[in-house]
Amino acid sequence: MQQAELLDGLSPRDAEQLLAIGTKVTLPRGTVLFELGSPADSVYIVTQSRLSLTLPMIVRGREENVLIEERQTGQALGWSALIPPHRFTLTAAAPFGAEVLRIPREALAAHLTERPEVGYIVMRNVAEIVGQRLQVFQAMWLREMQRVVELSAAREESA
Amino acid sequence: MEMLLMGVVMALFGVAVSAGLFAAATSDVRAMEALPALEPVVETAPSQFFAPATVPMARPIVSVDVLLLQIERHVRMEQAAAESFMAMPTAEMLHMRTASPLVH
Repeated sequence: MQQAELLDGLSPRDAEQLLAIGTKVTLPRGTVLFELGSPADSVYIVTQSRLSLTLPMIVRGREENVLIEERQTGQALGWSALIPPHRFTLTAAAPFGAEVLRIPREALAAHLTERPEVGYIVMRNVAEIVGQRLQVFQAMWLREMQRVVELSAAREESA
Repeated sequence: MEMLLMGVVMALFGVAVSAGLFAAATSDVRAMEALPALEPVVETAPSQFFAPATVPMARPIVSVDVLLLQIERHVRMEQAAAESFMAMPTAEMLHMRTASPLVH
């Protein structure tokens, strides 16, 4: 558990103290951990299995939750809890059942305020998670844009 | 001559690293591909007075479930491609084609 991406760079003792703030939550198969737009009051670390992050999409006139990303053991989710306006921007569910460590925002903030050196490392890790996601989605968006341009050119040719 | 050989070796090494990264990133996708494929549901045209009842429509319509699986597969492949690009950011890696059924 100490290899979790949120704890990367912390000493074993600091990591242990931080993990002690959290409580383990077992999610039976199909459980929705949080929903898009709901208040983000906790950060989570996946301790077992995987969670799917989805966004709603209209498919054939019906709203469906479409997979956007998966978070696996050791990975963190729910960083919206650390950033205003503290609302989840995705829906997280455990399609196969999972176990997570729930770290309440207020307890985490108090812990990090008391230990700024730990706070710096944790927030640097959060920045890395967010930055990585931004870069991946930037590349995915550009690939889709390329297809839009190609489709548009093909349409012009056929017209 | 040595410079030329070194250049060739470097180019081959670059290609091998790119291929390795892409293969690693798409291993999940290949595992999914190994699963038995779902048969698309073909909807038939409504029966009409002078038309046979079982004439299929011009274009087969896949069921919503199959479409959702295709979207999921597309997202995984696109994410793997984007992650490969991040590991080796070049224009070729950015626009590398995938086998997604939604773009073919």
